[in-house]
Amino acid sequence: MRLLRLLACVLPVTAMLAGCDENLSDLTGPTPNLAPNFASIQREIFSTQDSSGRQSCIQCHTSVGRTPAAGLNLVEGASFAALVGRPSVQKPGETLVIPGDPDNSYLVKKLEGAAGIVGLRMPRNNGPFLTEGQMLVIRRWIKEGAANN
Amino acid sequence: MKSFVSISALALAVALGVAPLAVAASLNDPKDALKKTDSAATAPADAGPAETGPGDTDPVGAVADAEQDDDPDTEVNRAQPDFTIVGLPTTLRVPRHKSAFRITHRFGRPLGEGSLSNLAEDFFGFDSGANIGFEYRYGLFKSTQIAVHRTNNRTIQFLLQRQVTGQDDTFPLSIDVFASAEGTNNFRDSYSPGLGVVVSREFTDRAAVYAQPFWVNNTNPLPGELVDDNNSVMLGLGARVRLTASVYGVFEVTPRVNGYDPGNHQMSFGIEKRAGGHNFQINFSNAFGTTFGQMARGGTDDWYIGFNLSRKFY
Repeated sequence: MRLLRLLACVLPVTAMLAGCDENLSDLTGPTPNLAPNFASIQREIFSTQDSSGRQSCIQCHTSVGRTPAAGLNLVEGASFAALVGRPSVQKPGETLVIPGDPDNSYLVKKLEGAAGIVGLRMPRNNGPFLTEGQMLVIRRWIKEGAANN
Repeated sequence: MKSFVSISALALAVALGVAPLAVAASLNDPKDALKKTDSAATAPADAGPAETGPGDTDPVGAVADAEQDDDPDTEVNRAQPDFTIVGLPTTLRVPRHKSAFRITHRFGRPLGEGSLSNLAEDFFGFDSGANIGFEYRYGLFKSTQIAVHRTNNRTIQFLLQRQVTGQDDTFPLSIDVFASAEGTNNFRDSYSPGLGVVVSREFTDRAAVYAQPFWVNNTNPLPGELVDDNNSVMLGLGARVRLTASVYGVFEVTPRVNGYDPGNHQMSFGIEKRAGGHNFQINFSNAFGTTFGQMARGGTDDWYIGFNLSRKFY
């Protein structure tokens, strides 16, 4: 009976603590609201400059008043179709986002400055680049299937 | 191979250092030697205030003392002299309202690094920095103990352990259930609750073997939103064998059977000497973990020396 009473106390505490994981915001630094979904990545990374001084992607990758750099339009509403499953204009044979495969997605290679990329690591002008935490979030979105969510 | 030779040489040196003490004690009279250590272990340091005279009767205190004297949990269990094997719990009960303390060190120098003389120059790893743990354990009720364990990376683990059944003539096993909760940053961040069962079997007063399935949540250091597995289910396996009157060999391994399982499974072995209420253990591990969450994060390809030092306050 005493055991049951103990379990009755312990199990709710366990369940409560199970919800207390690491905070994603602790990892994503200058973009505390960044989450592994496309709407968040669009808002926090593509469209917005963050507090570290990192440029927004749409400064160059936009069709507003210019031709998008590298033919890649990252303006909201156009970006998903331009990225997921689309070939790279800059490097033929590469795909910008391969759902489920962040390592081989050219977007990740360009943002991380991987060996073999054509042109500069993004964002251009030698950074500030995306932090490791921000990259983990983008990688996670791709790994989970790169949904338009 | 080189690391195995180094570890074996070191284990032998430690064994040779410890064994003569036990042999010397046994040569006099093994039973006496046992009786001495046992009486030291069981002699209640708080049996009553020295100033209390025969005339100062305290019926309530006297009853409590009598109950305590009759409590079999205060007697030395020669098959299970300590509350942990190396890092995993045993089914040894803390007597009601009694306590115990434990210090753990896991030194950071890989034993396989460099030559044997390099290792000796570093005093077999003891010169290096260590992951240190302090643990206090208290018998809340009969068969129910709580423990708090803090490691020097500011992780604090709380443990509640309750014995469901003890091994006796009618049942061949002891079974404990436990719940744990650990948190980083002095229990302010990233909580990892755990639930488990400890099953033990004692073989006379010579040995005890253990199987302990347990689950720990939030074991992945990354936030749950970014990972596939954030839980680990483990099956702790261990044994303690009494080699001489008070010298033991210990072994444990903690394979992760499901969920998050980076690196190698944590494995440890060691040799220990019981001396009264103390237990001195030199151990070798492929990891530094002393909490359940740390164990879930696995070990390395290297081996490290460490020690456990525990003291029962009863």
